[in-house]
Amino acid sequence: MDQQEHIALILDHYQHPRNYGTLTDPDILVNGGNPGCGDVVTMYLRLDAEQRVVDIRFEGHGCTVSMAGASIITELVKGMTLAEIEALPYQVLIDQMGEGVFKSRLRCATLGIDTLKGAAREYPTRQSLGQKLIQPIVLAHTGWV
Amino acid sequence: MSDYAHPEVLVETEWVAQHLNDPMVRLVESDEDVLLYDVGHIPGAVKIDWHTDLQDALMRDYVSRPRFEELMSSRGIANDTTVVFYGDENNWWACYAFWVFKLFGHERCVVMNGGRQKWIAENRPLTKEIPTYPRTHYVAKERDDKTIRAFREQVMQHIASGQPLVDVRSPQEYSGELLHMPGYPQEGALRGGHIPGAKNIPWAKAVREDGTFKSAEELRALYTEQGITPDKDIIAYCRIGERSSHTWFVLTYLLGYPRVRNYDGSWTEWGNLVGVPIEK
Repeated sequence: MDQQEHIALILDHYQHPRNYGTLTDPDILVNGGNPGCGDVVTMYLRLDAEQRVVDIRFEGHGCTVSMAGASIITELVKGMTLAEIEALPYQVLIDQMGEGVFKSRLRCATLGIDTLKGAAREYPTRQSLGQKLIQPIVLAHTGWV
Repeated sequence: MSDYAHPEVLVETEWVAQHLNDPMVRLVESDEDVLLYDVGHIPGAVKIDWHTDLQDALMRDYVSRPRFEELMSSRGIANDTTVVFYGDENNWWACYAFWVFKLFGHERCVVMNGGRQKWIAENRPLTKEIPTYPRTHYVAKERDDKTIRAFREQVMQHIASGQPLVDVRSPQEYSGELLHMPGYPQEGALRGGHIPGAKNIPWAKAVREDGTFKSAEELRALYTEQGITPDKDIIAYCRIGERSSHTWFVLTYLLGYPRVRNYDGSWTEWGNLVGVPIEK
């Protein structure tokens, strides 16, 4: 893809986000970002017995790159195990978003994937205790400081 | 609005709507989220990306006079065009672009009060169509780095003479707890804190929730209660000079302060400089 195609893809995901919404009784519900200002996401995952993602949704508020990044990553991780998600290289996002946008908006581009990686690291411990990984949903405040 | 020192530099969304086809007017969108223009922009607006259009590619500085002339000419902006700046996030980057245009002496610059947020809230039209305009032959003045721009040596002199500075960053950046806005990577400076003597008046305190600027009376109180008064020579700064350009706009045009400069090196310079004092 050339840069224009990357931007077109980002805008498409921003305006038509994939997997946007919530899941009832998820195995994982985690927040990413800073609710004080800027971009935030909440990820919902349902897993099978092998910790493989069978369903995923996200909600969020933020810039074009952060929301597109979250949308893109939810498509990519379906069918992956948590271990695969934790080991997922950022290159998968660069291939979609383009290196220029990815590097210039690194925090935004990686918001979704980093939120998932954090969940992938923490969930096994919770599961060993017979628990799910459920965080309180944090609503974004868009006041800029 | 009528109490502003220079009310003519602020236009309302209705005025913009009535001048969409005015050949003497050019809308310029400048956003923090640089892809928003492609999502949809005011019909006829051109995009100015502060990263690629206003910054020198190799040196931390603004573009040269020839490059600014090319930027204007290619956007169909003539020397007598009224440029209307607007953008996201309370016109944050729109004011930055306004400030850079003023470095080159473009006379007719205005800001659309409320920015993108207000235009969209009023259900006014957006388009994805990229406009094209006939090239102009723009002749820029030499960039004036003295009147509204401050450099680190001048900041040092400012401190030594006890003159006021306004630190427009968040309270946590001002105190040194953070190096960047909350939620952003904490990078860009080896030291956290503020320039000695600077008062902390976060830039966004100048606007309402709908993105419009507060009244002159409210703004006057905001700044004068911290000793930022029009009789003084004021320097504003933030992290890279973009939030402080918003405050520069407020002080200069809405309150009519005659001597306000933007220190665009800001904390990413001061917080890394060897041998300069800081406070926490």
